[in-house]
Amino acid sequence: MRVKFRSCSGHVAVLLGVMCLYYGCNLAQQWSENYALSPGVTASDPAIIDGKPETIGQSQRKKGSGSADTDLDIPSEAIIYLPEKRSVYRIVIHSTNLEAFELMAYNSRGEWDKIYDKRSNKAPIIDVRLNKAVTTTGIKLIVHRTTEDAARRRENVQIRRENLEIQEGQVRRGPLRYYITGPTTALAKIAEIELYGYANYSKAEK
Amino acid sequence: MKYRGGLYLIGAVFSRSFYNSMRTRVVFVPLVLMFISSGCTALKEAQQRREERILKERNATSLMLSPSQATIKIHPDALRGESDHYTLKFAEDLRVLADFDEVKERWEFAESALGYMESLYDAMNQLFGFKPKHKIHVTLHHLYRGSNLSAVTRTDYRSGIQADGRYVKVIRGIEMDFPIRMYEKHGVRVHELTHAFTNIYFLPVWFSEGIAVLIQTEYAKGGTHPKFDSLEGNLRVDLDGVNQLESWAGHTENNPLTHWRYRYAYTLVAELWERYGTDFYIRVFRLMERDGLHQKLAGTMKTSFLVYYFNEAAGEDLVPFFRKLHFKVRRLTKEDILNQIEANSVRRRQ
Repeated sequence: MRVKFRSCSGHVAVLLGVMCLYYGCNLAQQWSENYALSPGVTASDPAIIDGKPETIGQSQRKKGSGSADTDLDIPSEAIIYLPEKRSVYRIVIHSTNLEAFELMAYNSRGEWDKIYDKRSNKAPIIDVRLNKAVTTTGIKLIVHRTTEDAARRRENVQIRRENLEIQEGQVRRGPLRYYITGPTTALAKIAEIELYGYANYSKAEK
Repeated sequence: MKYRGGLYLIGAVFSRSFYNSMRTRVVFVPLVLMFISSGCTALKEAQQRREERILKERNATSLMLSPSQATIKIHPDALRGESDHYTLKFAEDLRVLADFDEVKERWEFAESALGYMESLYDAMNQLFGFKPKHKIHVTLHHLYRGSNLSAVTRTDYRSGIQADGRYVKVIRGIEMDFPIRMYEKHGVRVHELTHAFTNIYFLPVWFSEGIAVLIQTEYAKGGTHPKFDSLEGNLRVDLDGVNQLESWAGHTENNPLTHWRYRYAYTLVAELWERYGTDFYIRVFRLMERDGLHQKLAGTMKTSFLVYYFNEAAGEDLVPFFRKLHFKVRRLTKEDILNQIEANSVRRRQ
């Protein structure tokens, strides 16, 4: 009797292929440690790099000109400085009120380059994967809008009519005037900003 | 001689031209290699210097802090919190606001605020090289003394007569009060913490405010009082012809001169800082700490006493500079100060 063995080489090849693909994908997803937690890292608010999601840091208003009109549009920002150059591929921001923002990277000429821009966000954890690696010693988050801006505007912008008294007891309706008693935008509440590169690259760059 | 003989021998074996080209190569190749190597080193060094400069410039634009390792404890009701160098509490008028009426909200805020203040404390300690012995008690308000624009730091001290009959001042505690709107401004936190660090020397108000604005502006990049372009050109004197800074009684005064006083004090303090180096005031505080005389003088510190330490730290006489700015100062020696202390203690014993 002749025993017929079914060939399983095709199955083995497929299995091996799937394994390779899985292994390859796994390799690609090997993120480095969070660079923001490395020794020597500093931030405009240390709560955003302390590794504790329960502490909340805030973005800070840039020093203004002193004039309310000019300073109204100055956005607040949060900065992280690394002690040495790192290739950053992924930035994770934990914030409950951040809506519109920009990310900038500090380049070797001492200038900030825009690397990412988000116009509308609703997620409390924003996971940004950059299209290409950014080798940098600093990351800046520029806050354009938060969910609390409207409340802050209601609190600090008042519209009052300036009536004029023309004769005794007679009042003429005057023009409406805006009174700004404080900032018209809220600061971003940031629990943590995490910076990652690829694990296999990070060591080579040191 | 041996060397020359060797060369002639090689010349006899090889042709003259080959010998010449070899000699040229022997001389030039190492030279070129040397140039390349030194060029590369110089290039590397230049690149390193450039990177260092860029990093330095990067750090000069904002106050950057490292997370603190301090222990933070929050009470179960989250009305109070405590860390290594601070206690923090929420005033009653703040607890009723929507952002602070729940335990979870206060807890989160207190833990984050204490973390920030501890990081700032570490940075200031590094900057000054000393720190106050007492914990700083911070109270956050909605309004403080009816205003949301006035943050205040008080250094409370007790004064008395020691067993040897000498007068002495001893710090009892440091308290900070912030309306929440002022606490949001990092420059204000730096300003108030500078008071907490430096007021342990019982400084005159004008110098205390001047150095606080200096640190707030130059170190924390959060200043709100611009410098005057000239000290002489912006001078203001009282009816006695004395600089209006000298009669400054402090924060609580609501006076049309207040804004000018902040600006002028900052300009004056910054002038000496630029002239004698960024560590000038650190040297001044070290000298005061060494002598310990600030604790033995009754009342607030006089400008003449302060100028004595300025002279010591600067290595030159600054009395003419202060007189030119209409300060009522006289040139003191340590003996004068000791005599004053002695005279006070003798009088008190009588």
